[in-house]
Amino acid sequence: MPPPRMELPQGTLDLLILKAVALQPQHGWAISERLHQISSASLQIRQGSLYPALHRLERRGWIKARWSTSENNRRAKYYELTRRGRAELETQTTAWHKLAATISQVLETA
Amino acid sequence: MLSDWMLRLRALFRRAAVEDDIDAELRFHLDRQVQAHVARGLDHDEAMRRARLEFGGLDQIKEEYRDALGVRAIDRLRQDLRLSLRSLRATPTVTAVAVLSLALGIGANAAIFSIINSLLLRMLPVKDPARLVVLTDTPTRARSWNYRIWLEIHRRQHLFEDSAAWSFTRFDLSSGGQTQFVDGLWVSGSFFEALGVKAALGRTLAASDDQRSGGADGPVAVISDRLWREYFDGAADVVGRILRLDGANFTIVGVLPREFFGLEVGRTFDVAVPLADEPLSRGRSTYLDAVSTSFLTIIARLRPDQSVDTATTALRGAQREIRELTIGELGNFGAAAIERYLKEPFTLIPAANGFDGSADFRSRYERPLWTVMVVAGLVLLIACVNVANLLLARATARRHELSLRVALGETRGGLARQLLTESLLLSVTGTFAGLLVATWGSRFLVTQLSTSADTVFLDMSIDSRIVMFGVAVTVLTTLVFGTAPAVRASSVNPIDALKDQGRTAGHAHGRLSSGFVIAQVTLSFVLLVAAGLFVQTFREIATRPLGFQPEQVTIVTMDSGRTGIAAEARLPEFERARDAVRAVPGVAAAALSFITPFTGGFTPPLNISGVPDFEGRLSGNLVSGGWFTTFGTPVIAGRALGDRDVKGTPRVAVVNQAFASRFFPGTSPLGQTISLYPGGARALPPMTIVGVVGDVVYSSLRIPAAPTWYAPLSQFDVPEFPSVLFSLQLAVRSRTNSPVASRDVASAIGNVNPALALTFRPLSDSVDAARNQERLVAVLAGSFGIIGLLLAGLGLYGITAYAVAVRRSEIGIRIALGAVAGRMIQLVLVRVAILVATGTVAGIALSLWLSRFVASLLYGVQPHDTATLLGAFIVLASVGLVAGAIPARKAARTNPATVLRES
Repeated sequence: MPPPRMELPQGTLDLLILKAVALQPQHGWAISERLHQISSASLQIRQGSLYPALHRLERRGWIKARWSTSENNRRAKYYELTRRGRAELETQTTAWHKLAATISQVLETA
Repeated sequence: MLSDWMLRLRALFRRAAVEDDIDAELRFHLDRQVQAHVARGLDHDEAMRRARLEFGGLDQIKEEYRDALGVRAIDRLRQDLRLSLRSLRATPTVTAVAVLSLALGIGANAAIFSIINSLLLRMLPVKDPARLVVLTDTPTRARSWNYRIWLEIHRRQHLFEDSAAWSFTRFDLSSGGQTQFVDGLWVSGSFFEALGVKAALGRTLAASDDQRSGGADGPVAVISDRLWREYFDGAADVVGRILRLDGANFTIVGVLPREFFGLEVGRTFDVAVPLADEPLSRGRSTYLDAVSTSFLTIIARLRPDQSVDTATTALRGAQREIRELTIGELGNFGAAAIERYLKEPFTLIPAANGFDGSADFRSRYERPLWTVMVVAGLVLLIACVNVANLLLARATARRHELSLRVALGETRGGLARQLLTESLLLSVTGTFAGLLVATWGSRFLVTQLSTSADTVFLDMSIDSRIVMFGVAVTVLTTLVFGTAPAVRASSVNPIDALKDQGRTAGHAHGRLSSGFVIAQVTLSFVLLVAAGLFVQTFREIATRPLGFQPEQVTIVTMDSGRTGIAAEARLPEFERARDAVRAVPGVAAAALSFITPFTGGFTPPLNISGVPDFEGRLSGNLVSGGWFTTFGTPVIAGRALGDRDVKGTPRVAVVNQAFASRFFPGTSPLGQTISLYPGGARALPPMTIVGVVGDVVYSSLRIPAAPTWYAPLSQFDVPEFPSVLFSLQLAVRSRTNSPVASRDVASAIGNVNPALALTFRPLSDSVDAARNQERLVAVLAGSFGIIGLLLAGLGLYGITAYAVAVRRSEIGIRIALGAVAGRMIQLVLVRVAILVATGTVAGIALSLWLSRFVASLLYGVQPHDTATLLGAFIVLASVGLVAGAIPARKAARTNPATVLRES
């Protein structure tokens, strides 16, 4: 029995992408795989919608893209975190934790 | 953001590459996903299906991707532009009229603004101008100081980072005889260093050049880029050459950069020499030793840690000490005057925008320029309204096309966007054409500001402020004239496309257009009133009696600075020169004077016998015999001053009518006496008034002639007077209508003393210069008034012609039913009359309100002048009549048969 799937809250896709490319440069497919894996497949992300999001982030200067050779010897577009992106990731992570904590607090006490 | 713009630009210019990238990236993803599914045991087809499903709609993703790239917006813009160009080309007349109106309106504004910018707003072309301050003791403007004060300020180096002083002068390049002047500066050795101005060639001046005993390299000079190019033909070896200034030799050590025009707004200079070399020009009458002669402007550069306030405080600490060293001849005026002088606080004011030169250029033209700017703005508004109306009419004519596009699925927003793009294209084209008009116009205006004695220089190069102004004007005009047509057009109904075309022009369009035309009439009424007021002001100023006849009179300034004549021998030498000129054929009269009208003033303190309660200064002039004849000023009572009123004969004076009527109303001033410098060390014995002459305008044409006295030059024996009298004015009246040839006058004077430096200037030039401001405002307001009127006439004609065209069938039917032609003309004209009348009423209200703000610029005419309002109405009504009559006649000639056949 697969775990129940959740819709992604608005604006959180960006944060997840930033997190996914934080360790090393990744291409689009690898990012989508990684999101799938680390969320234990409980997040429902249409794979295609990853790409417009990647471009938004690139335009904001948080990630940068370059063409490189992939593990199976094909050219693929790799995305990596910029310095500004890393700072953004930290800010957003902190903000997210705070928000999550606050919401759960409200839910438990109310 | 940089990365953003790089990506957008790539999307814009490398379109195909970007699309390939997108394809490759998405394909790679799908392939990997299929691979993964196959590895998990699915067969290839199923893996493919699954991968597609998980990915989502490929085309939709691509669209989103392009959106994220910003490519979509660019695509749409490109499409809009293409469509706009096509539709503008389809109606060439409308487009040309629109662009022309905008070019005129925008050109007028840009021209005036570029003058305002360089005269009032621009920062000085020096390093860090924000840290420059000027020393003064009045709160608002710079003043000049004497040499001692400058030395004392400069000596106290702890006060500022640096300080500098300069004085404007004209250097004579000639070697005697007729002068050839260049504008020049005497500058302190610190001048260029304090301003951070570096030489373009050679070096600038340094402290070592500015020594009273002579600098290390002897007398040196730096020259402007312009002098280098024009006088030295840009010679590469100009450094080291000799330049002759006021008869002394200077070695050129450097050429200044082109952009450095000096610190005074409105004029530039061609030569700068060290202040310590000033005695080479002025000889024994040097200002450097004259404690009471103020001729230097003093500026300072603040240290980065100083504010204007802290620097002022520091300076005031040293003020008493500095002032005490420079009391000079103030000692003659008693302890109270000295104490006042010592306490007068030094003030520093920011100088980043430069200085008003001695011609007071900035303060004289500030108000007129802003006024003209507003007038130009009104012209642009009228032009915008005109274009809006044109576009509105065109949009109505295009209803069919537009509604068809809506029917085919174009959104209303898209339609409005496309029409706004058309407007933007129009105004961008208009702006570029307008900038051409402006470059030409502003250069022309600057030459109009110049007079023969004062060449006005303004740095008109394009700077960021001008660019911003251009962009702002373009955007604003687009919004003003583009909004209404865009909104109107986007409200078309798709059903209109199905209806018969042409017959559906709605009344709504008519109402909006009429509103526009009323606005135009209102604005052009205001413009006409402004033009009327300023033209009348100029006429009043131009026809104001001067009290002398300037035609046929030439003023020759004789300068003895280089002759080496002893001070006491100068006046006799000038008198010999005058006698020689009187003998020149064609000379009707010639006379000497200390000052001439519109050039300087002379107001020593005096008292008058029989007027005990008067104590103060009155303007006067020192003249030789024959002066009133030469100037054509009538003698009202008694006699004029003659050649026999010389030293040793009884002291005499004449006064003008204003003097007589103010101090001796109802009685005769003859026999009364005037005493100059009463009670002081320089007190002169009383002079008996022997005549009354007509009033002569000496300073401003706007104020009544001041009470004035005249005394014989040779009887004015104040001890130090001969030593400052190194130049005198010789007025020469010709027998004929053309002025006496300066060649003949120069050779006559040259026979007396070839070393006298001579400057010729027609007296009428000074008069014209005094009227220049009013003339310029009148010319500008007048031409803008005409342009506004033309545009409004065009607008009226357009809407009337349109209304006639729309109602063609109605008119045809009426005529067919027996209406006479006259009735048809009446029908059309009544409509025009209503528009003009409504606009006029609004125009009267608006101009009554606005004219208060220009009251100070007017002369001899009231801001609420009824005749001007009436005149403006008559002019507008006539233009309206013509604009309405043409379409009205056309309406009357409508052939009912043709119309009925069409329908």
